[in-house]
Amino acid sequence: MGLLDKLSGWLGLRKKEVNVLCLGLDNSGKTTIINQLKPANHSNHLGPLSEEWKHVSQTQAQEIVPTIGFNIEKFKSSSLSFTVFDMSGQSRYRNLWEHYYKESHAIIFVIDSGDKLRMVVAKEELDTLLNHQDIRSRKIPVLFFANKMDLRDAMSSVKVSQMLCLENIRDKPWHICASNAIKGEGLQQGLDWLQEQIAQSTENNEHMNE
Amino acid sequence: MIKKFDKKDEESGSGSNPFQNLEKSAVLQEARIFNETPINPRRCLHILTKIIYLLNQGEHFGTTEATEAFFAMTRLFQSNDQTLRRMCYLTIKEMANISEDVIIVTSSLTKDMTGKEDVYRGPAIRALCRITDTTMLQAIERYMKQAIVDKVPSVSSSALVSSLHMVKMSYDVVKRWVNEAQEAASSDNIMVQYHALGLLYHLRKNDRLAVTKMLNKFTKSGLKSPFAYCMLIRIASKLLDETEGGHDSPLFDFIESCLRNKNEMVVYEAASAIVHMPNCTARELAPAVSVLQLFCSSPKAALRYAAVRTLNKVAMKHPSAVTACNLDLENLITDSNRSIATLAITTLLKTGSESSVDRLMKQISSFVSEISDEFKVVVVQAISALCQKYPRKHSVMMNFLSNMLRDDGGFEYKRAIVDCIISIIEENPESKETGLAHLCEFIEDCEHTVLATKILHLLGKEGPRTPQPSKYIRFIFNRVVLESEAVRAAAVSALAKFGAQNDDLLPSVLVLMQRCMMDSDDEVRDRATFYMNVLQQKQKALNAAYIFNGLSVSIPGLEKSLHQYTLEPTEKPFDMKTVPLATTPITEQKTEIAPVTTSKLPEKLAPSRQDIYQEQLASIPEFQGLGPLFKSSEPLQLTEAETEYVVRCIKHTFARHMVFQFDCTNTLNDQLLQKVVVQMEPSESYEVIHYVPAPNLPYSQPSSCYTLVRLPDDDPTAVSCTFSCTMKYLVRDCDPNTGEPDDDGYDDEYVLEDVEVTVSDHIQKVLKPNFGAAWEEVGDEFEKEETFALASVRTLDEAVGNIISFLGMQPCERSDKVPENKNSHVLVLAGVFRGGHDTLVRARLALADGVTMQVTVRSSEETVVDVILASVG
Repeated sequence: MGLLDKLSGWLGLRKKEVNVLCLGLDNSGKTTIINQLKPANHSNHLGPLSEEWKHVSQTQAQEIVPTIGFNIEKFKSSSLSFTVFDMSGQSRYRNLWEHYYKESHAIIFVIDSGDKLRMVVAKEELDTLLNHQDIRSRKIPVLFFANKMDLRDAMSSVKVSQMLCLENIRDKPWHICASNAIKGEGLQQGLDWLQEQIAQSTENNEHMNE
Repeated sequence: MIKKFDKKDEESGSGSNPFQNLEKSAVLQEARIFNETPINPRRCLHILTKIIYLLNQGEHFGTTEATEAFFAMTRLFQSNDQTLRRMCYLTIKEMANISEDVIIVTSSLTKDMTGKEDVYRGPAIRALCRITDTTMLQAIERYMKQAIVDKVPSVSSSALVSSLHMVKMSYDVVKRWVNEAQEAASSDNIMVQYHALGLLYHLRKNDRLAVTKMLNKFTKSGLKSPFAYCMLIRIASKLLDETEGGHDSPLFDFIESCLRNKNEMVVYEAASAIVHMPNCTARELAPAVSVLQLFCSSPKAALRYAAVRTLNKVAMKHPSAVTACNLDLENLITDSNRSIATLAITTLLKTGSESSVDRLMKQISSFVSEISDEFKVVVVQAISALCQKYPRKHSVMMNFLSNMLRDDGGFEYKRAIVDCIISIIEENPESKETGLAHLCEFIEDCEHTVLATKILHLLGKEGPRTPQPSKYIRFIFNRVVLESEAVRAAAVSALAKFGAQNDDLLPSVLVLMQRCMMDSDDEVRDRATFYMNVLQQKQKALNAAYIFNGLSVSIPGLEKSLHQYTLEPTEKPFDMKTVPLATTPITEQKTEIAPVTTSKLPEKLAPSRQDIYQEQLASIPEFQGLGPLFKSSEPLQLTEAETEYVVRCIKHTFARHMVFQFDCTNTLNDQLLQKVVVQMEPSESYEVIHYVPAPNLPYSQPSSCYTLVRLPDDDPTAVSCTFSCTMKYLVRDCDPNTGEPDDDGYDDEYVLEDVEVTVSDHIQKVLKPNFGAAWEEVGDEFEKEETFALASVRTLDEAVGNIISFLGMQPCERSDKVPENKNSHVLVLAGVFRGGHDTLVRARLALADGVTMQVTVRSSEETVVDVILASVG
């Protein structure tokens, strides 16, 4: 973290902008997670919003409805400013995800830990995603949220990672976090990991460029 | 590609357009910067503008490339630049139909339309409704309902207008928003109120009662918005028009009360509605016209224009009412706005008297060069109408028209002038030479192929019969030297007509024709070679058949016959007589000048009424061996208009048979008729061979039954016959509401009026453009002449009309029009008798005590001559 702070100090006040894709089956909690991450929650340590952020919905939405297509949301963490493409998870829109693979710097994949039945579907979608030509060859960080931990019959994050065979992913950094989006538990932890990964890969790139 | 750019350059002219010469592929390439982070709003805006420009220029985008560009554009939603976001909405709307998966932006748009930023909300609603289909509409219904009653006017208006668009797509869903629309209709904002009224009306327009209720409600409560008032007036006048009720209804009172509205737009709308109403009395008209009259002297140009345009439109319908405004219209002639001046003058021309024509024409010519083509056409139309009204003024008009013809102008304008000159020539023989001279001058420098060929055809028809035909040859041959293929071919045909008709010109024409045979174009060479050979024969009959009078068969019919002929290999040569004849176009010899219409498109070869019958009859197996259809008569009513069953009869004549087609309509909603036939009892030796019944005749659904009759072979002179007709059928009573018939029925019959077959059913009209030549062609082998006295007829006009309708032949050489103040007249008629025999009739009429008529008949078949004379006698 210390290094990162220095880096951002170097670059001036402007934070690095990254594009993140938020994927996962319908009703897994993608929009709820993004909603929790929005500035309203962090306003205390981010300070007042600058002029350019004014038009983005600053407050969290009161109710979450199924997304049709996608939503674009923005929020900042300590060192990065995120632009999240919150994609619709309904089956008829999943084929539209691929339009946004190319420009993304990271992927958040959300899983409904209580939905054992559709875990195979999630695995299927994940495999298709990882094998896509725009993703396959890139060392793009993937953050998994094993969401809905508050449910009684929710599986543990270890169990979820087993069911999705995450250990088979060897060419990309990945991390799985247990989360409860409604309360916001576990989200920050996951995001911290993501931030670190992105910073590292940027650093690597800069080394390579030098 | 280079050529394409050249063309674009020409079109855009000045070259001040920064977007000209845009290339689609280059623009799409540029669109890749949409994917870059961070977004550069300025550059993206510029590229979106280019894309929208290309789309609006009609550039075709393939689905894949459009989808790619669309998805790249969706990323721009992450930018918060207002202009860029609104440009995205525009792009979404433009690409909604050409890109796939446009629903991807649904959530983004829903977010914008419910967001806090008012500038986004309206446009987002409009864009959302463009990408939404019926299945998705449910998902956004809640938001739409909220938006309709939103307190921000632009949001509410957008939602209302978008709903209106979606009525076409999913009426049932939008219908559920009526309450919200109702609430919006009481809004204080004039646009919201107007749009709400529009939506309410379109939701209810199929239910007259509901519309009436709505009108009552709003006319009582009153509205704020003048736009809404105008709309109410339109709805009311439409309703009045449909109900055809008297003008004492509250609807009319409402419209009249709007004449006293304080808003000028509403007042004008009301006046215009009243003036345009059919069968309006003078008393009802007066207040509306006086309002328009007041507007004529308004300082606002728009009001003056509106008033004078309305007066112009109704000048023919209510001349007396418009004449009342003449003084005001005269003042408008000098109006600085030329459009107003033109309309004022043409209105005056329509209503003015013969004496004022000269003065008005002088005034028009002073500024005709300053007005746009569109108004020039209006002027020409007015002149054309005027020529019809005051034929004696033709020299003034002709001068004026020829001056106009010399000016610059577009195709529509020139065509209007040419049509007008041609109609004047046809109406006034004494104007022929000057008119032809003007037209000759015009084609010397005419860029419109259609007009050049039309004029050349006219020259070929009229030129040879003028005192000095030789002077036209130069003009025509110049065309062969200078013009495009189509014009050259037309010029060759025109030349041939001169050669055929004027013996002293023939050697020169042959020399010219020889030169045309070297032409580079096939059609021109073919025509020249053909005419050359025909002319060298020096036979009147050949000239008449192949040069003056072209084919008289129907073109679709010829095409079909030739196709049929090629299908069956046979030794026999193709017989032209098996081809159905063309029904003479009615416009050809109309006595009144057809008003020069601007909307007249180049006429396509639409199948004629007879071609349609031919097809219908051919589909009935019983009628397949009858050969081509020779003639179909006009429908004949066999019942009174208001009876239980309405029957009309169409007589179809074939070479040896006749088919009677009975179009029956059952006007009783409690009866179903079955097995309907019309039984016919002939008075002569005609033989009924077959009945084709109409199997079912339910309430108000017309159906046809047919009767096939053989014409007597042994007596060809038996051309007329009377049939007494009885309709026989099985009645099954049925429930008027459900249409469910009872199980059993009973036989019944209904007596119809008699059907008569006369000589005119055996003769098809054929127009011979050059009757004299045709007369010589047929020859006097079977000529017969007889004199009759028509005691009951008082005037020549009446006699001419009677003869034409009795024989059913085509009057030629405009001989159906009797010049005024003449005591004698020659009527020439042409036709083809059943079986394909050319038949010509010349009737010399003299007016004494009653009319004396000497009829000369020529035909290629003797019996035909006898038949016609016998039937006249």
